Amino acid sequence: MLQTFKLIVIALIGLGLGLGSTYYAVERGQDKGFGAGLIFGAVKAGPWTGWPKSGSRDADPYARALFARNGETPLGLTEGLGFLARADASGKPLSPSCDYVVKGSIPAARFWTLSALSSQGRPLPAISARNGFTSSEILRDVEGGFEIKVSASAQPGNWLEVPTDQPLVLMLRLYDTALSANPFSVTASAMPSITKEGCR
Amino acid sequence: MKRKDRRIDDGEFSALPFLAGCLIIAGLVHIATIFILPRLAQKDAFARISAIAAPHKVVILPDGAGGPFDDPALAQGVCRFDLSQGPVRLRATLPLDPLMLFSFHTRRGQIFYSMTDRSATRGKLDVLLLTREQLNAVEANDPEDELPQDLRIIAPTLDGFLLFRSLAEFPGEMAEAKARIAALTCGLDQDQRP
Repeated sequence: MLQTFKLIVIALIGLGLGLGSTYYAVERGQDKGFGAGLIFGAVKAGPWTGWPKSGSRDADPYARALFARNGETPLGLTEGLGFLARADASGKPLSPSCDYVVKGSIPAARFWTLSALSSQGRPLPAISARNGFTSSEILRDVEGGFEIKVSASAQPGNWLEVPTDQPLVLMLRLYDTALSANPFSVTASAMPSITKEGCR
Repeated sequence: MKRKDRRIDDGEFSALPFLAGCLIIAGLVHIATIFILPRLAQKDAFARISAIAAPHKVVILPDGAGGPFDDPALAQGVCRFDLSQGPVRLRATLPLDPLMLFSFHTRRGQIFYSMTDRSATRGKLDVLLLTREQLNAVEANDPEDELPQDLRIIAPTLDGFLLFRSLAEFPGEMAEAKARIAALTCGLDQDQRP
């Protein structure tokens, strides 16, 4: 009798822990978003994180469970690579009340885009109707470099408008890039930096 | 003294299997649910696309019908497939420069093939999507002295969708990007109709 009771208790606790950990893994992944298998297959470069395998047959079970929950359609590995930044260079989460500058090098790609999204990955409202930049439209300096200002108030040059009151993430997409062949080789110096300019 | 030792042993021996049992069950439940989740999900990409797109035709996704973490600079279109009705053919004549992305998704949201417009030969794309059995049937009818002109891709599931994405390099070019997707032809293959 006591033995049966013990087995039932073990089964219930096990069930609770198992379901709880699944919920945590998937919801946590949903919060991190964007193909975030909780532990597997992430490539980090400075503030940027990518999950290149989530767009291939080798997508891990956590990434698949996450996509099933949020309806995300990841980028195929041979189409390109996406990198997500939730924090600036100092590791502080991106805040809508601060201004940021994104500049530096970008891995070779036929096209790239930089966009600001809500922390759940949805488009942000913008008066200028611009949620992002493509490599074609960016204004460059004489040396071919570029600087994108992420701010709620209008800025000269490449201004990526964000709302004043919503948490945001930045996403860099590289299309038709040689990096697809070896995505884990990317280094922080090959990626643009995200520097805080000031806060209101 | 001896008796006391044994009592401590007993205590340890009943707590340890208890904890181990809980953890083993928790592990099994965790693994099972992670693997089952894609089969139970009601709001996955396939469900989202099925709600707005009939099978075997190119449908442009309206604004806001995409998933999370989509690139706002991309126009998107889909072609749902159901291979139980026969193989599906995708044909395209692609302009030289604009970026076009093609990905092949299973019913469960896994990408089983992807490519860009750079995969086109002389601007033409001719893809036949089929099952292993359908491929055997098609190959049996192939002329023996010629190489097939189309790219043949085996789908791991009968249901799924092709996702087409095209880059609007400037915000004003979204209409052109959508038109590039609308110009693709995707449908049941007329030659292979059962």
